[in-house]
Amino acid sequence: MEDNAKKAVYVKPKTKIAPFAIFNTILFIIISIIILIPIWKVLMDSFDATSGYGLKLWPQRFTLGAYKMVVTRSDLYLPFLISIVVTVAGSFLGLLLSTLGAYVLIQWEMPGRNLFSWMLLFTMLFSGGMIPTYVVMMNLHLTNTLWSVILPLAINVYNLVLMRNFFEGIPASLYESAKLDGCSPMGIFFKIVLPLSKAALAAIGLMFAVTYWNDYTNFKIYITNNRLFNFQMKLRAMVMDSDLPGDDGSLSPNTLQNAAVIVAIIPFMILYPFCQDYFVQGVNAGAVKE
Amino acid sequence: MLCKSCNAEIPKKATRCPECGRAVVKPQKNLYPIAIAGAVISFVGGFFPVIQSTDAIKKFTPAYGFMNYEQPLLWYLFMLLLVASAILCAIKYEKFSIITTVAAAVIYGVTYANIMSLHNGPEMQAGLATVIIVVGTLVGIAGCFLDVNKNAAERKRKNGELDFQYTGNKTVWQRIYIYRGFYLMFIPVFIFVFIFNYLPMAGLRYAVTDYFSGKQPDYVGIKHFVDMFGLTSLSKLTNKQFMAAFLNTLRLSIIKLFLNTFMAVIISLLLHEMRNIYFKKTVQTIIYLPHFMSWVVVASIFKMLTSASDSGMINQLLLNANLISKPIDFLTSPSTWRGVYYAVNIWKDTGWGTILFLATLSGISPDLYEAAQIDGANRMQRMRFITLPALANTIITVFILNLAKVMNLFESVFVMYNPSVYEVSDVLQTYIYRQSFSSGAANYGYTTAVGLFRSVVGCILVLICNKASKKVRGRGIV
Repeated sequence: MEDNAKKAVYVKPKTKIAPFAIFNTILFIIISIIILIPIWKVLMDSFDATSGYGLKLWPQRFTLGAYKMVVTRSDLYLPFLISIVVTVAGSFLGLLLSTLGAYVLIQWEMPGRNLFSWMLLFTMLFSGGMIPTYVVMMNLHLTNTLWSVILPLAINVYNLVLMRNFFEGIPASLYESAKLDGCSPMGIFFKIVLPLSKAALAAIGLMFAVTYWNDYTNFKIYITNNRLFNFQMKLRAMVMDSDLPGDDGSLSPNTLQNAAVIVAIIPFMILYPFCQDYFVQGVNAGAVKE
Repeated sequence: MLCKSCNAEIPKKATRCPECGRAVVKPQKNLYPIAIAGAVISFVGGFFPVIQSTDAIKKFTPAYGFMNYEQPLLWYLFMLLLVASAILCAIKYEKFSIITTVAAAVIYGVTYANIMSLHNGPEMQAGLATVIIVVGTLVGIAGCFLDVNKNAAERKRKNGELDFQYTGNKTVWQRIYIYRGFYLMFIPVFIFVFIFNYLPMAGLRYAVTDYFSGKQPDYVGIKHFVDMFGLTSLSKLTNKQFMAAFLNTLRLSIIKLFLNTFMAVIISLLLHEMRNIYFKKTVQTIIYLPHFMSWVVVASIFKMLTSASDSGMINQLLLNANLISKPIDFLTSPSTWRGVYYAVNIWKDTGWGTILFLATLSGISPDLYEAAQIDGANRMQRMRFITLPALANTIITVFILNLAKVMNLFESVFVMYNPSVYEVSDVLQTYIYRQSFSSGAANYGYTTAVGLFRSVVGCILVLICNKASKKVRGRGIV
């Protein structure tokens, strides 16, 4: 009996490195390497003048020629500029529409609020599809203009609902006291709601920016004029159709293709580590409360 | 159930309270779904011919339709009124709903009389649309009336309790005046949603027409749907392509969903065990990274990696390891394409998928683990009895959220497929795109019909997922 009683006493386990922890660490190092290898290879190949054979840790013949071409040739830097213009304009417009819509949707006592809310949510349920949308764009004479890629993505009901959830977190007493002090709806919007939801603005603005920067489908459907292609379209043409700008022969086509991939991902690769928390916040807010 | 006046327990089938004798009012079922169903039936009816010749019924050949007839505006109005009637029912304004339903029926009647008077002949008779719309209108009105009568008392009671916090007991018009600025603010959103979401829905009418680029749509009834489902011997090839695309959509997205979720769960479980916070943060940063690349970039990278030429790294590795004797072009051979597609999806999105799971895991109280440890549970047991049950709800949530998007599969396939692997990779959206933009004489009517099918299946999926979501986590996804 005495022995059993002794055994039951809790003994604090000694701190030692468990084999599981080592296994786990090694596993995650391998996973990270698997994720990074393709990116690393592309990066190294973009600096390498010789055509790539397999994986290498460092370029064999270092060159910046491919990047020089991207900066100097107008058929390469114009798509990049178009990407930037579309991303900036689109994100701004998208944020404007999301915040306006979300602000209206939190006016619980406004007659017709439910109707507006339903009107927006119904679009998540059912859509006209690719061809009717294309016909609408054609009839509005928007195809082959940058409006056709900026406008349709600017209204994103999912982001709008997300924004509404963020706004609901602002205490209602703040609105009340502002209203008593004689603040107009617009004044409340600009002086109270927006300053208090900077994190939400950053999160949703970044989501819009990623969508616009990575947009390929809308360009493919609505734009046939190759002077209006964005960088994704240009990259696609270069890699898949080997539609490479003529060069002086000092570079292998592979180098230029790899450099184009790097240019296409570099803005968000630089931005992302600083904004990671905003992105994560956005995802969690979307699923946890809607 | 408790009695309302004396709070005594009432047996299930009793009609009066055994204590005080008060009559029991049983809560009635909501009937508005019936009214909505009526509106939907009439809406569908709007796509069928108004009048048709006796032969036409057997052959699905053209008849006199509604929407491409002299005044398509009347058709627009008809459809809009029905949508309004369904929405009004859903938000419990049955009286207005009756008005819109009747108005739609009147518009139909006027159009019918108009077409009949123009094309009167011995062989003409009322088309399918007439039958369907009459049934739909009757069902809709019946549903509305039943609901109005039932809800009248309920609403009165509600209004008594209804006390707005800020606007007090003001009338609707006074409240509209108070909120006038907000209606102005909603106008831009309204315009965008109307143009880019609702106008295309009106364009679904092309599904019952032959519509060649640059020409006027021409009414053909349900010919395209007959073709899609291979009901005539001429449409076997169309049916084959369409069904292949439909089944591929389901197959690719559902297997992808299973694989991604499974991998994400495993990785988040293991990552949660990681104690070193800096290592954990670094790993998270790295595995989220591919999510920010566009599908074009990912496809470009993997095309270069898997290509059969000498720059393809994977072929080089396999050749050096003597696993294969000659290079395989992974993306152009039908036997390997799906495998590469799933692998690329796992590479790109598994990391991002762990966010929700990790958030749930970090919410589990450490006390639970400590208590389990004291009770002698080992690592596997702790995972089995604490972590997994806590995660189950999130897994189901992620599943439901993604299952609703199954029909949206497009860009990831579009950038990775090519003519040599159409049979294993073609999904509905890419099929629609190719039929509309890559073939010479594109019939927008047919591709709209395919798109309509896709939208309807997608809508049903979302509704099912919504129901499931309500059951699992107490609230819907839309």
